[in-house]
Amino acid sequence: MADDQEEPPLAIRIDQTVEEPPQSGPEQPQNENFSVGVTVITGYLGAGKSTLVNYILNAQHGKRIAVILNEFGEEIGVERAMINEGESGALVEEWVELANGCVCCTVKHSLVQALEQLVQMKKKLDHILLETTGLANPAPLASVLWLDDQLESSVKLDSIVTVVDAKNLRFQLNKHRDSFSFPEAFLQIAYADVVILNKVDLVSREGSEGAIEELENEIRSINSLANIVCSVRCEIDLSQILNRQAYDATHASHLEALLEESKSISSRDLHDSGVRTLCIRQAEGVDLQKVRLWIEEILWDKKYDMDVYRCKGVLSIQNSDHLHTLQAVREIYEIVPARQWRNEEKKINQIVFIGHNLDENTLIDSFRDYSALPPPPFLWLLRFKSTLS
Amino acid sequence: MDGGSNAAETLSCARCGKPASLQCPKCVELKLPREGAAFCTQDCFKASWSSHKSIHLKAKLPSLGTDGAGEQKSDLVSDGWLYCLRKGQSRTPKLPPFNWTGTLRPYPISFKRIVPAHIDKPDWADDGIPKVEPNSDLQHRVEIKTPDQIERMRETCRIAREVLDAAARMIRPGVTTDEIDRVVHEATIAAGAYPSPLNYHFFPKSCCTSVNEVICHGIPDARKLEDGDIINVDVTVYYKGVHGDLNETYFVGNVDEASRKLVQCTYECLDKAISIVKPGVRFRDVGEVINRHASMSGLSVVKSYCGHGIGELFHCAPNIPHYGRNKAVGVMKAGQTFTIEPMINAGVWRDQMWPDGWTAVTADGKRSAQFEHTLLVTETGVEVLPARLASSPDVFPWLNK
Repeated sequence: MADDQEEPPLAIRIDQTVEEPPQSGPEQPQNENFSVGVTVITGYLGAGKSTLVNYILNAQHGKRIAVILNEFGEEIGVERAMINEGESGALVEEWVELANGCVCCTVKHSLVQALEQLVQMKKKLDHILLETTGLANPAPLASVLWLDDQLESSVKLDSIVTVVDAKNLRFQLNKHRDSFSFPEAFLQIAYADVVILNKVDLVSREGSEGAIEELENEIRSINSLANIVCSVRCEIDLSQILNRQAYDATHASHLEALLEESKSISSRDLHDSGVRTLCIRQAEGVDLQKVRLWIEEILWDKKYDMDVYRCKGVLSIQNSDHLHTLQAVREIYEIVPARQWRNEEKKINQIVFIGHNLDENTLIDSFRDYSALPPPPFLWLLRFKSTLS
Repeated sequence: MDGGSNAAETLSCARCGKPASLQCPKCVELKLPREGAAFCTQDCFKASWSSHKSIHLKAKLPSLGTDGAGEQKSDLVSDGWLYCLRKGQSRTPKLPPFNWTGTLRPYPISFKRIVPAHIDKPDWADDGIPKVEPNSDLQHRVEIKTPDQIERMRETCRIAREVLDAAARMIRPGVTTDEIDRVVHEATIAAGAYPSPLNYHFFPKSCCTSVNEVICHGIPDARKLEDGDIINVDVTVYYKGVHGDLNETYFVGNVDEASRKLVQCTYECLDKAISIVKPGVRFRDVGEVINRHASMSGLSVVKSYCGHGIGELFHCAPNIPHYGRNKAVGVMKAGQTFTIEPMINAGVWRDQMWPDGWTAVTADGKRSAQFEHTLLVTETGVEVLPARLASSPDVFPWLNK
């Protein structure tokens, strides 16, 4: 053995060996900073989810995409993954073993751990699609997948894509109008970052010219933030659903689009479901701690009885030269300094809410109240005057 | 920022202190830390060789199959002690292959310990599968405990404390973690309680024993504790329908200064976190406090495991991360009970899993320490349910100052 030698062995260069031991676990990302985007695909049965999946698996797009087919019962679990091998187009079916559902005291849900294992196993995966059968509400899945940046996971929630059936959409939205149950279609559209309006050929063939536009407006009245993509047989340009970075606090281009929004984002007409999009604006900068309290009362305490599904915003924080972004899915939210305000930019707060039972005045007033600004002097005078007379 | 020092880009020569670009190949082979194994030139390396090579010798002591320890292991295997696999669902007579991150290795484990029939058991005791817990709505909302539940938790946590103290009195070189497990098991049964970890998702033993680079969920086995080790013992007991959970990290014999600092800093992290607990405090702030204190000492915070709600369920809402900038939902309210259990590493924060499916180790093989308490939020602050008793063994030097 070397220990018995008088002479030491030859020392080796430090950069010749790997810095950390080669991964035996799913912790390391494929490259240092690269996470594989995960897209959740949801939608009514028959809307074309499988069509979309098959299209993505078979189209020659040069990307390695894994599609996870999932049966959501009571638990969210991964059973089977199909991987499109890119150029060659061969489909590989893999079984990904679930981490036995032991949540224990782990931060990452077993689904996330399973996806990380998949990324670990399959080098150079470009994207993961999670196709959800029978999942009415994508929110719990989004909550599980929207990980803290601090975890530096090899997977990252990229967007929620909802496929809707142009031919049957109106029927599905009207279905439970009179009952207390919520059609899944509302939730799936409300949570979507991209809505694929499929089977448009069937509608334009039968209906009038403006039929498609009407459907788009119907969708926008529920969720005016989502991108709507019309399609026939789900044959879409993949760049419209991949790499959306919809939950990325720092690559906030989609949030910054809010800044440029000239026309109102708020739904003009209240949709029958009571689900709508609201946008509030305020020029004066706000106190960060107070904004936290404000949003927590809305999201956590359900103050004002409003049911918020998604929330996205740009904040102008007092005493900060950084534009802050606000993102929320149900109760989970974060406020993050994204970048510095540019000189030519007008600093502004602009926040979009998508949800049920939203009230615009309540939101505007409560936001202003929490902005820690004393009321302007002349209002005091008015009040004083009115008690006198 | 996390304080994790990632095997620094600018290493210094172990002999002369100049920037080092060479390292000892034997150390690389044995996966020993690069600090102390880096040299600026072959000459410095050569000059240090006679003293440096003793590091290799020390690292080889718990080796497999080539010396006394190896023979002892094969004795155990023929006695029926086997290595654990698949979270405890299966066993194997051979050490499973793995790219071990440090010098610690698993040892064979003993047979399953019996729990007498008169002990009230949780629903996983027989088949290893919790049924009520995963489907409970307490996974999604934080329970406010009734006065009766609170009183039961006080009793249960008192038992858990006494059981842990009994384990702490066992800690010395030469004792196996299996013997510690036996003491925990028997003390728990004697108090009329069930050791919650036993068969929880098939976990094979009655407590977790985590040595050196093991972060948490170490499985008690045939390995003897060595002078210089640090060991965490994590005890949870189930009594009168509720669980009580705590853990502490102990010194085995004389430990080096770095380990002393690691353990003390971890203790302080928990202490500081507990000091902010009161109604109205956000759960996410716990991670900020812990992260700040650990970073200041140049240590890193494990991110994969978190504090958890506890009561009639072993693990339930809320999830309390120990790292900063997390999105934990909710604020503390009087009547809530949960654990805070920071795991702090000397090196990087990342963890890996051993082939047994339970043992979490540091990715760089450096040491990790942990402390845990079950806490009750009161109207004005916090009550530490399994707090140290006057009779608790005096094993933490910093408490005497």
